[in-house]
Amino acid sequence: MADYKIKVRRFQPESGQGPYWEEFKVELEPSLSVLDSLLQVKDREDGSLSVRCSCRAAICGSCGMKINGQSGLGCKTQIGEAQELAEKMARATASGPRTREAGREIAGDDERAQPGAEEAAPIIIEPMGNMPVIKDLITDMESTHWTKIRRVTPWLLPHGEAPEREYIVEPESMIDITQSMACIQCGACVSSCLSMEADPDFIGPAALAKAYRFVGDPRDAEGVERLHDLAEDPHGIYDCTHCFSCVDACPKDVAPMDQIMRLRRKAGEAGIEDPNSGHSHELAFVKIIEKKGTLDESLLLQESFAPGIKGKLVPSRRAIKEMLGSIPTAIRGIKTGKMRSLPKLIPGIHHKLPGTAQDEVQAIYKHAEEHNEEFNLYIKGDEGELAEIEAEENLETAIAAPAGEEAPS
Amino acid sequence: MSDQIKVAYWPGCVSRGFTPELHGSMAIVAEKLGIELVELDRANCCGAGVIAEHNQELADTLNARTFALAQETGLSMMNICSTCQGAQSECQQRLDADSSYRAHVNEALSGQGLKYEKDVNGFTNKNFLWLLVEDYGLDKLAAQVVRPLSGMRVGPFYGCYIVRPKERLGYGEHPDRDIYLEQVIVALGGEVVEYDGARKCCGFPVITMNRETSLKQAGTHVGDAIDAGADCLVTPCPLCHLNLDMQQPEAAKVVNRDLGLAVLHLPQLVGLALGAEPKELGMSKHIASTGWVEERLAAVPA
Amino acid sequence: MPTHDVLVIGAGLAGQRAALAAAEQGVSVGIISKVHPVRSHSNAAQGGINAALNPGDSWESHAFDTIKGSDYLGDQDAIEIMTKEAPEEILHLEHLGVTFHRNEEGKLGTRAFGGASAARTYYVADITGQAIMHVLYEQLMKHSDSVARYEEWFCTALAIDEAGECCGVVTRNVADGSMELFQAKSVILACGGNGQVWKPTTNALICTGDGIAMAYRVGAKLMDMEMIQYHPTTLAGKGFLITEGARGEGAHLLNAKGERFMETYAPNKMELASRDVVSRAEQTEINEGRGFPDGTVALDITVVPKKRVHEALREIVLVGRDFAGVDITREPIHIKPGNHYTMGGVKTDVDGRTDIPGLYSAGETACVSVHGGNRLGANSLLDTLIFGRRSGVDAATRAKHTDASKPSPKVLEDEDAMIADINSREKGSGRRVSEIKLELGQTMDAKVAVFRDEAGINEAIEIVARLREEAKTAYIDDHGSVFNQDLLGAIELGYMLDNAECTCLAALERKESRGAQYRTDFPERNDEEWLKHIDLEKTDDGPEISYSEVTITQWQPEARTY
Repeated sequence: MADYKIKVRRFQPESGQGPYWEEFKVELEPSLSVLDSLLQVKDREDGSLSVRCSCRAAICGSCGMKINGQSGLGCKTQIGEAQELAEKMARATASGPRTREAGREIAGDDERAQPGAEEAAPIIIEPMGNMPVIKDLITDMESTHWTKIRRVTPWLLPHGEAPEREYIVEPESMIDITQSMACIQCGACVSSCLSMEADPDFIGPAALAKAYRFVGDPRDAEGVERLHDLAEDPHGIYDCTHCFSCVDACPKDVAPMDQIMRLRRKAGEAGIEDPNSGHSHELAFVKIIEKKGTLDESLLLQESFAPGIKGKLVPSRRAIKEMLGSIPTAIRGIKTGKMRSLPKLIPGIHHKLPGTAQDEVQAIYKHAEEHNEEFNLYIKGDEGELAEIEAEENLETAIAAPAGEEAPS
Repeated sequence: MSDQIKVAYWPGCVSRGFTPELHGSMAIVAEKLGIELVELDRANCCGAGVIAEHNQELADTLNARTFALAQETGLSMMNICSTCQGAQSECQQRLDADSSYRAHVNEALSGQGLKYEKDVNGFTNKNFLWLLVEDYGLDKLAAQVVRPLSGMRVGPFYGCYIVRPKERLGYGEHPDRDIYLEQVIVALGGEVVEYDGARKCCGFPVITMNRETSLKQAGTHVGDAIDAGADCLVTPCPLCHLNLDMQQPEAAKVVNRDLGLAVLHLPQLVGLALGAEPKELGMSKHIASTGWVEERLAAVPA
Repeated sequence: MPTHDVLVIGAGLAGQRAALAAAEQGVSVGIISKVHPVRSHSNAAQGGINAALNPGDSWESHAFDTIKGSDYLGDQDAIEIMTKEAPEEILHLEHLGVTFHRNEEGKLGTRAFGGASAARTYYVADITGQAIMHVLYEQLMKHSDSVARYEEWFCTALAIDEAGECCGVVTRNVADGSMELFQAKSVILACGGNGQVWKPTTNALICTGDGIAMAYRVGAKLMDMEMIQYHPTTLAGKGFLITEGARGEGAHLLNAKGERFMETYAPNKMELASRDVVSRAEQTEINEGRGFPDGTVALDITVVPKKRVHEALREIVLVGRDFAGVDITREPIHIKPGNHYTMGGVKTDVDGRTDIPGLYSAGETACVSVHGGNRLGANSLLDTLIFGRRSGVDAATRAKHTDASKPSPKVLEDEDAMIADINSREKGSGRRVSEIKLELGQTMDAKVAVFRDEAGINEAIEIVARLREEAKTAYIDDHGSVFNQDLLGAIELGYMLDNAECTCLAALERKESRGAQYRTDFPERNDEEWLKHIDLEKTDDGPEISYSEVTITQWQPEARTY
């Protein structure tokens, strides 16, 4: 048993008060969870402390919350680990002025342990982000999470009559989409999503992972339609800022961002153009590296908005707007010497790789375009880990076998 | 010297493009620290996650080539860009996971006499930040400081690709990688500024796709750092630098407030503490004025 | 007053399946759940779902395994229906989009499971229940125009009209605390089991026997309430479940001496004997001093090929890592028998009908009885789906031919008064609700678990009676309207006490050992006297016991060995 201090961001909607912080002392095994600590408070001290929970085993998805600023499940975060993280973060910023608490200023007491103080830093527990708070740690998932889930037409749209028996499909395709199926709709990814923080209309990681579950499903007949829908929505797949927050937040290894990238890949393969110029940006990038080996940023901007037409541009209205929008930045860049000269902004002047290096890059393009293999780590697993275990086992056997004695423990 | 650090150095694209000051300042700092850089001038772009989104095998092969070039030198690899770190680690994870996939990818390199081999202990590719803390050492770094950044309030800004996903980025073995910037700031004599955005996204990846979302992110983080009393930000990622510094005036318009916060590349911050002058570190090439930082420093003679 | 032809209470697999089936009949359907539907405990069914779908397998074989597993207490007519209809249900789910594991030909693949004579368990990694439930929820979203969802509404009582037929339900909208009387022609209780009556349990916090208690309170009969399954592989402490799929994939059970002790208890089926058999074997090893000091034995998954673990047992790798700090691919994990499943419940016929017209029940809340004395692994999902669907269809058919009967406002007033009473108790006036729950759970786990005897059961009965008195004055801290979980917890305590009382009485009554009921004072099965169901009905003097026959079609009871 160990003592912990948890600091909970509370909100009691019927009190007439705004949100406030409240600290509780709890006593439990370090291997027990942050949810267990909250339930202990609820059971022993304050039954009004509100948190959705049910399974306690990371399968029902009820107890999404932020712990020390990180989105996840209360039941899956061990209190001992949460304590270590709280202390680590307190230590890291110990030299700095603490003008803000847990990243935001809200009313209430603020007795965070000072560096060198004897008392350990409290574990900070907040409701999920990117969602309205209803009461304490309970958020309104309906208006955010579920509305977005429903946005992606979340049911199978098979073609024609079902077969007499099962659909015959590639075994790996089922494992592949089972990664998305493993989603328990806890909302941790939505809570952590940095794109949604800036653009609340972003469809978001959970819904897009759900969308991949259908796009990747060989039984679904509307994959291309779905991709059009998700790519052409300005808040769709090309609105993801690729920050990996959802990957780390997900308690079930769904890796929503990976699914979003695969939606992009499939949309690209289907030749879908999007209003965000996401696909043309991607193509431009790929083309520049093929041609130059390293990135020529100025060329990227132009190619992203007016792909493939050299000299004679018939850019879209958005392209013109974006190009014009970048002019002040470019002028500032030239002024400071960041962009060395005007020619730097004109495609074709960027340096190339030395010698035959560029030919080597192009050979790689040829090979990869021919095969275009998507190695799926989720399906294949890491053979190295397997080998490591086998090696250990062999070693143990080798030690044990010759003398016929027990291996030293 | 036996403990002399020598690395195969991948500078990335942007340090030789829109942030030339990064490439220059790294060279200066390496010399001051006694780190020998063997530049991989034949290496190619990491793909920044964008090529992987187009054709995963292509990204994996391009980076396998870079790794193979590094392996030819017999040295560990160092990069100076969070995005390179993340994109390359992602490819390396796949390449290391499966020998038949690795063989397939190496097939494309065979014509060039190159081959990426999975080391027994794993091929090492570290951002300068990681190398500085894990291999060079904070104590040794602190001992090299000739101009402590006393009283300078620095906000760390990591860049997503170097902090997430933790599992892929070696946090199991090095759990403190997400507080190294803070540790470096302290070692250099500065003060850490705690603010909301340190490990958030600068918005750069969507600058061409959703300018508003992108600049709102950059503007918010810069604004938060200012509100928290920062004199400057420091970042190990030149792409973050583009959005936080080059786009700062545009970001200011989107978040509708005055900004104007210096954003330093990690080698620049280190260089200042080691006595290099702002000008030689290329700070005049920044968009957001570094004047305030220089004034602060002027009070501390090198 | 919200009105539907068919109202389903509970939105796990049975409830969602019932709602979809009823809606297909063209009636108006509402589905009410105290949690969001995808939070329901069907999620926890990891291992799979049984069906005799492979060539060479037969429903008869599946039925026989089920009957033998039930220790001949299962009703064979119901088991025949379940096993005959299983293949079609699997295909239906596959067509809806469940991502079932495939074999190399791309066809549905199976794994082995306990108590089964063939590999007939279809699965999605080890998230089968979750995968099926989320697909059904996809269908509920698709059919939102024909099924109204009331998510996070808590039911406190059933409404019975003057003719004695069920005509609605009283609910509390959890979000704002408003009370609402729903009207319906048919009501289906699919509220899950009562695992929270025991501590520890593999069951979620929401599994408080609500449906069983609500039905019992309005006079519906309960059956087989003594039959409580202890799962052989649960983590010590919090009771988390390690799927039977692990043993299906070849994992061994070892005692502290490293012996594969199932050789003694079930030399043929070994670890894949029926759950009651394996749980008793483990408990015997532990009781006789061959367990580990923490009161456990070990499950050794390291003997399963790593690749297979990666493919088929991902979830328990996470469970081991996150909740026990053990890498199950590298070392054995300590486990013990733990409360898991309610075989008994509201007595129904094969169409889910209870003895109250208009009131149906399905899934773990119900007792058809297909599981009898012991449920086979991977039969629970099947039970929920087959009898969920059949209840939905029959409830819709009834609704089409029945005139609406308006529930009396009195039932709503009673519930308002009940809640006002709880709210009126002053802090410190009695015990905390949580204390009573804890004592209840520990008592049941000590006295009414794997091994039982008369003295222990009687002790439990006394304690439950005392707790029932204490519950009347137990106080809560939260008196608000919005998400008052404290209040709901107090109401749930009432449900749990009803469940506990019925289980104790039935366990005391059955003076033999059969399935999950093992009486150390009556260690043998006694077909002569006890091949019958124990039914319980509420009277003013407490539960009244009666018996009903076990339906036997073609399988006569035999000695049960594995």
